[in-house]
Formats: sequence, C-alpha cells, structure tokens
Amino acid sequence: MSSYLRNERVKARRRLLIATLVVLLALVFDLASGGMVRGAARVAASAVWSAGSAASGAIFGSGFFSSKRGLEAKIEALQQELTAQQALTGRLEVLERENTQLRAMVNFAKQQRGVAAPIVSSSNSSPYGTFLIGAGTLEGVAEGSIVLAGSEKGFVIGSVAEAGEHISLVREVFAPGALVEGLAGGAVLSLEGRGGGNARTEVPSALALSSGEPVTSTAFAGRVIGIVGSVSSDPGSALARVFVRVPVSLSELQFVYVVPRLE
Amino acid sequence: MSYRVSNNIRVLLSALGFVGAIALPPWVPLLVMAMLSLRFAAWEVIAIGFLVDMIWFSPAGGIVASLPIFTLLGLMLAWGLEPLRSEFLTR
Repeated sequence: MSSYLRNERVKARRRLLIATLVVLLALVFDLASGGMVRGAARVAASAVWSAGSAASGAIFGSGFFSSKRGLEAKIEALQQELTAQQALTGRLEVLERENTQLRAMVNFAKQQRGVAAPIVSSSNSSPYGTFLIGAGTLEGVAEGSIVLAGSEKGFVIGSVAEAGEHISLVREVFAPGALVEGLAGGAVLSLEGRGGGNARTEVPSALALSSGEPVTSTAFAGRVIGIVGSVSSDPGSALARVFVRVPVSLSELQFVYVVPRLE
Repeated sequence: MSYRVSNNIRVLLSALGFVGAIALPPWVPLLVMAMLSLRFAAWEVIAIGFLVDMIWFSPAGGIVASLPIFTLLGLMLAWGLEPLRSEFLTR
C-alpha cells in the first residue's frame, strides 16, 4: 500500500472517530437537556420542509414545464392559455382542499376546545411513524394531547409525543410496532401498528366483523381511531386476519386539530 | 475510478441522504447510508443517521421507537464495514 493511501485511510478513520464522538456527546447532551438538540433539529427540518414545499408548489403550480412542452410543440398561444387555466385550476383545487380541511377544523372547534395546527413536515419520512405539527406549548399543546383529522367528529390519527415551543412531534396511532386496544363490533381488538395509518390483528373467525366498521379506543376517550379495511381467513382456520386503517390519507393532510387528552 | 469522480459521488449521495432524512421515505437515507459505507469511510453516514433520529425519534416511543435505530445503524455501518473496505478498496 502506498504511503498516500495509508495517510488517506488514517485521515478517514480519524474523521470517522471524531464524528462518532461528536454524535455520542450530542446524544448524551440531548437526553440530559430534555431534547434540546431534537428541538433545534425539528425547527430546522420544518423550515427546510416548508421552504421546499413552497418552492415546489410555485414551480409545478406555475405550469412552467407544461408551457415549455407547449412551445416545443409549436402551439404556443393556446397551449399557454390552457396551461394557465390548468395552473389556476390546480391552485383552486389546493385552496379548495385546504378550505375543506379548515371547515372541518371549525366544526371541531365548535364541539371541543383545541388548537388547529398545520402539518410542517413530510408524513412519510419518519421511520418511527411520527410527523411534525406547527403548534407547541405556547399554543396550548401538551404531551399526550390527541391529534384529530377528518370531518364531523373526526378520527384520532395520533397523539403528541413531544411538545416544543412552536413545533410538536406527533406519533401516529398506528406507528410501526405500536400496540393499541380497539373496539369493533362489540369485540376488543389488540391492534399492532404497521405504519402509514395501517394496523392489523387476529380475531376468532366466528366474530362477525365487516369492512367499513368503525374502530374506537378507550385509550382515546372512545373516539374513532380507524375503520376495518378487510377481514380474511384461511378455510378451516380458527382465526381471521383483520386489517384496520385510518380513513384519511396522512400524506394529503395539511391541518390537524389538537385536543387535550382528557376531553 | 478517479478521486474527483469518487468524491462527487460521495457528495451527491450525502446530499441525497440529508434531504432524504427530512423529506423522503426512510428507506432512502438508509440506502444512501449503506451505499456510502460500502465505498467510503464516511462520517456522513453517522451524521445522516443522527439527523434522522433527531428529527423523528422520541425516547418515549413504543417497542420499535424506543431506540435511536438510525444512529446505531449509522455507527454499525460506518465501523462494521471498515474491515471490508480496508480489504477490498485500498490494497
């Protein structure tokens, strides 16, 4: 091995060692300080996410790429007009979706005291079934608060795991590995979270559960936590597999409603 | 592979890993960490794993979420694959 390669290897190992020590020290400091490093990382991540989200919305919402295709196809005027209309329709659809969700928040607010909060992170990036919302202790959010979405009375989609000043970490009800007891069709279900708003369990085949049946949970004051997606069993088996899902798509949500735990 | 190309690949993969930690599904930073650590003695592997955990991890989690899995994976990949890298890449 040449002396250059040997030197490079030594340098690389030294950098690795320094990184290891820094990370271990930061972990210890984070745990000792009650999550200061995590709080700072989440503020930065939500800022990056919001900036990226706004930029991508501006680029794709403007119809820039469609216009370019139109120019290449030499139907400039009509194509641009069409693109502008499509962009406008797209923006209107986004606003309509936002409006629908905010109307649901108004309904929630009439029924119970709470805080409407925007989702300020990706909802599918976390390996732990968590996401960030833009409300914290200063807005009245506390650890254990219940996070609702959907319409009418809403569905529980998670609970606040950690509350920062203006940003809180929400753990989904059906986070990977999470265990939660549910009630459906008069039977108690021990649900195991699978992530992405899905959970599964096994029940006796004799139990009459059908898809679409709501699943409530006493852990969330009897609120609905999901609906039965499908029930399947092998012939002759005493057990049936039940799949439960949250009836709202987490990736399409922009706002959630946070209520105190005991209400 | 020249040093310059190799370094560019490392920078691109690292950038993808850091962005993936914030905005992409968790398998993306995981894949990036594995790819980086196969080829380089990269401190970025540890940093990406740590970033994922600092954003998404809560120590009060359930069975799966009770350990900073990505930080541990980063350390294991960075140090665990060191003998393999030494054996095949620098001799």
